[in-house]
Amino acid sequence: MSMTDENDDLFDSVLMADDRFRIEGYREGFEEGTRRGMIEGHNHGMIHGAKLSSEVSFYYGFAMTWKYLLQKNTHGKARKRLKAVEVLGDLIQKFPHEPQHENLQEDVERIRAKFRQVCSLLNVPMNFCDYVHGSGSQDF
Amino acid sequence: MVAIECLCVLIMSWVKALGSSEDVFDENADDISLQSKEWKYNMEKRAKDGFRDGINAGKEASLQAGFNQGYRAGALRMKAVGQLKGTASALQIWCQLQDPGSPAAASVSSLLQCVVQHEERIEAAMKRAQERPIPSVGDVSEDLANLGVGLTPEQGCGRTDCCKEDTDCSSSHSSCSTLLHSHPAGQSLEELLRWCMSIVVELGLPEGLLHHLQQIRKEFFRLCVRTFMKI
Repeated sequence: MSMTDENDDLFDSVLMADDRFRIEGYREGFEEGTRRGMIEGHNHGMIHGAKLSSEVSFYYGFAMTWKYLLQKNTHGKARKRLKAVEVLGDLIQKFPHEPQHENLQEDVERIRAKFRQVCSLLNVPMNFCDYVHGSGSQDF
Repeated sequence: MVAIECLCVLIMSWVKALGSSEDVFDENADDISLQSKEWKYNMEKRAKDGFRDGINAGKEASLQAGFNQGYRAGALRMKAVGQLKGTASALQIWCQLQDPGSPAAASVSSLLQCVVQHEERIEAAMKRAQERPIPSVGDVSEDLANLGVGLTPEQGCGRTDCCKEDTDCSSSHSSCSTLLHSHPAGQSLEELLRWCMSIVVELGLPEGLLHHLQQIRKEFFRLCVRTFMKI
């Protein structure tokens, strides 16, 4: 190796040292940041997913229970109620618990509206609906 | 650039020292050590700056993925208790329509209250996890266990007290079949489901309701087993 090459190498390593330390730091930081981001995101997402699922699952349990309670009766009014709770149950079964679901807001609103309709068909007191909406609903 | 200048000065002082005399160390020792300290300090600063930028970039890149993962887990976690709450609410309304003063109506009301409390405990555990500072790598599994997601074989789904936060209620288990018994707070979901089933049986309600409750139970078991396997 010639003297010039050695000098070039030395000069390169001096120039590179600056970047090398920075890049090594960055790499370590990125790894740690990824881990922290996953945990922070997970904890945050969990609360949101839980909130919405709690509300929607409540509607589902409510609808299914009324479905079985109403099945004994076949007269006109009961049939209309039965139909409504079945539609509510179907809407929820089709509802995907995916945070990036395209029509999330619309689908949730449709389910809530159907639930309110079911409550009114069943003559469920309004304060019950309020309690449910107050405890279970969420803003996006 | 400061680092480069610093290194150049360092190298130049070496070259000068080698070229001049033999007792260089006596004359330049302090100078060289100072230069070397400065170099070290500057390189550490570079590494720190890189680390800080890396943390931000890493977080930005992973937050959404973490959110999605947590969202699905949270949704699954609440499914069974939410459905049971809806079921108990419907039964409460039904009982009040039939016979508001009946013991059955009172029992359904206290069941509903316990289910609501159970749900609140899960939510509180999730909020605690969110407020806690980010743990070091080794603490992560412990964190999940506190959420009631992690199950050890002893506390796992082979037994009735399915999730960790519910272990304080196993003593009340034997009283589950008593319709009028006022249950203390803290039952496991399994116990609450069985309590609900016993009410359905005692009220002579349609068979389909029992299947509905068994379905909730089955799905909940499956979730417990799956989360246990993951950890």
